[in-house]
Amino acid sequence: MSEESAAEQQMLPPAARALIARAAGADLRAHAALDGAIRELGAQVQHRIDDRTRAAIERQIDAFVNAADAELRQRATRLLLARRLPLVAEALNAPAPPAIDRLAAAGLLADAELVGETLARAQLRHLADAMPPVDARTDGDERPSLLVRLSRSPDRLVAASAAGVLAGESRRTAAGEVTTSAGDPLPLPLHTRLLWRVAAALVARTPLSGEEAQALERALAEAVQRGLAALSDGDRLEASAMRLAAAIDCGPDELQPLIEEALDDRRPLLFAALLAHGLDMPIDAARELLTDPDGERLWLALRALALPRDAIARIGYRIAEADPRRDVEAFADALDTVMAIAPDVAARAVAVLRLPLEYRRALACLAR
Amino acid sequence: MMAPPALDLEHARLDRDGRLISADSRLLQLVEQAGGGLGQPLPHAPLRALVGLAGRLGIAITRKLTLADADATLELDARAQPTGEGMTLALAGWHFREPRRLADVADFTACEAGWGWACDATLALTHLSPAAQAEIADPAAALGHFLTDSFRLVESDDGALPMLLAVASRRPFTGQRALVRQSQRWLTLSGTPQLDAAGGFRGFTGVAAPIRPLRGDALLGAGFGARLDRSLRAPLERIVATAGSMSAEVDGPLAADYLGYARDIVGAGRHLLGLVDDLVDLEAIERDDFAVEAEPIDLADVARRAAGLLAVRASDARVTIDRPKADEALPCAGDFGRALQVCVNLIGNAIRYSPAGASVWVRGEADSGRACVTVADQGKGIAPDDQARIFDKFARIDPAEPGGSGLGLYISRRLARAMGGDITVDSAAGQGARFTFWLPEGPRA
Repeated sequence: MSEESAAEQQMLPPAARALIARAAGADLRAHAALDGAIRELGAQVQHRIDDRTRAAIERQIDAFVNAADAELRQRATRLLLARRLPLVAEALNAPAPPAIDRLAAAGLLADAELVGETLARAQLRHLADAMPPVDARTDGDERPSLLVRLSRSPDRLVAASAAGVLAGESRRTAAGEVTTSAGDPLPLPLHTRLLWRVAAALVARTPLSGEEAQALERALAEAVQRGLAALSDGDRLEASAMRLAAAIDCGPDELQPLIEEALDDRRPLLFAALLAHGLDMPIDAARELLTDPDGERLWLALRALALPRDAIARIGYRIAEADPRRDVEAFADALDTVMAIAPDVAARAVAVLRLPLEYRRALACLAR
Repeated sequence: MMAPPALDLEHARLDRDGRLISADSRLLQLVEQAGGGLGQPLPHAPLRALVGLAGRLGIAITRKLTLADADATLELDARAQPTGEGMTLALAGWHFREPRRLADVADFTACEAGWGWACDATLALTHLSPAAQAEIADPAAALGHFLTDSFRLVESDDGALPMLLAVASRRPFTGQRALVRQSQRWLTLSGTPQLDAAGGFRGFTGVAAPIRPLRGDALLGAGFGARLDRSLRAPLERIVATAGSMSAEVDGPLAADYLGYARDIVGAGRHLLGLVDDLVDLEAIERDDFAVEAEPIDLADVARRAAGLLAVRASDARVTIDRPKADEALPCAGDFGRALQVCVNLIGNAIRYSPAGASVWVRGEADSGRACVTVADQGKGIAPDDQARIFDKFARIDPAEPGGSGLGLYISRRLARAMGGDITVDSAAGQGARFTFWLPEGPRA
């Protein structure tokens, strides 16, 4: 902590200092919670993540692996047939246990990043599903929902980005329906790792050896590389949401109605993108604030946006009410403390979230 | 589009300390039944928590609350709004939780459904799941545009558009036929409205299923009940809701004649809804594979709950229900929901046939391996010749008698027998009727 901010904090009421201190510890706790989730997926322990979340994670990972399996096999088969290796192609397509079984046995479900990404997606979905009903509009005016309105914006960049988010959310909402791994890609490093693992599992389940096995490996490696060549991190829904937030680029005054409406429309990812853009942090960090049951960092982030008390109350209430792990009464207790912290002090208290995720992970590793 | 008026909105005002200053009659009755009153804090903890939270946050809050006393469960939407002088509280919904029903139409639809969709309040599409690709080549291009750009909505046989009726009534719809403009294929859309805290329409989430040709025997075969439910329930609920708002004079006073007509419509509509429920059950219990769970239950508890569910109806009819004491227990084996349904039917009949001011006795006893609940009334009784007939399908002793489909006792007895028990009756004309519902005794639940 810099001397300036240390001095700043000394001026704060004790409750506010304690809140900021808890928020500072939240990064470590979040990483520890992820470890717990991973242990559970591996060990099938019943405690730390609930059944619905675990089922959602497993369904998603299943869908990814199955989609990757089908895609790689299709591409490699075409290559093998072009190389006049029909027997190898046949072996690749012979009935066999699904790749996911093999990968799960080999520790796929202990991949912290994969579990973290799917966990965050599942939790955001549950958050959207469980939001309490929104207040009735007082103007009696019936207007299209936020993303629909933005998709009709005269600003073509805004319109195109909003259409991209609408389409991406549609693909993601139907997690059980993932038909291509590129439909709703994972972060690129993760996606890359997953494709290679599936390719390895595909080779392992054939009885081939010698030259035939090498031919298959070459074909699958090419299939992976072609798959990856078509992808960039910009295809992720998170990236589309950030592009939209950047295209809107609203000032502090415009942000409040927008960010509240995103939540009212049950679009937590858009909410996260607006928050991330407003505070100049990566969207993954903002998403983490939405799914972390310890609320302090989120309340501080909202305060850092200089949102008024009633807006923070409404946002906090909706999120806390929707997430059974959160304590809405504790939020109500903390609200006045949060408001006692000046926006710039709050911004500095959550500044660590602006750092790249990888670096924060490294810091958390060192602190253990 | 104007939101339809809430039929049963009740208001109250509270002071800064959370004490009740004033309340509409039904809300006040609720408070008084729970031991509260004017000038006192609210007696229901969930309501107190809601008011406390809204006060501390300084914003209006709406929550779906479940208020339960010893035996009845009431579900409602409660909204607390801080004001300068304290708080206003509005309760809407007032739904007594009923015994569960076998056929849940939405579930059926979801099972057979092809893919998901959603739209906002202006019916612009906000979600199309990837499987929609089979019908719409590029779902992404359809998003953000009006639903009617992608689908031509087609009227059902009665000339109605279920989806638009659902927008007006704020109720789920099924069976909206739609022609996909791109693929020229037919779909059935069903959906559930998303509502804001005041019940205003915020859009639909739903599923779309391809229309499969009906087999010749399908209408009367399996699934008849579900179809009946689907095609009758929505229009009936709409009739009841509209007539209900007329009879509540929400749009201004009505001439006495018309008020009477509106109440008749509500009564007749509810009767028909009950009939739909019965027919759906009938179809289920007459299937060869019909089976009922046998789990340890407490029949005395079931009877108490049934009596609690009917407390409002009994008080409207000025009938007193004398139910098993809270510490009585009758362990037996059966299905909780089905046993509750049987008890509600028997006690409901007893209330219906009781004169004003009379009592209905609900007694539990264990008798040679049986857990028995006896429901006795002071009505006009049933002649010995009629006693066998009342359990027949569509049996009505006096066709002029209002209410009832003639299916309730038939269904109840079938359910009782499916659980290894039975229903018996003993009565004499002019002496009231005593129905005994028994289930095989079981281990303590």
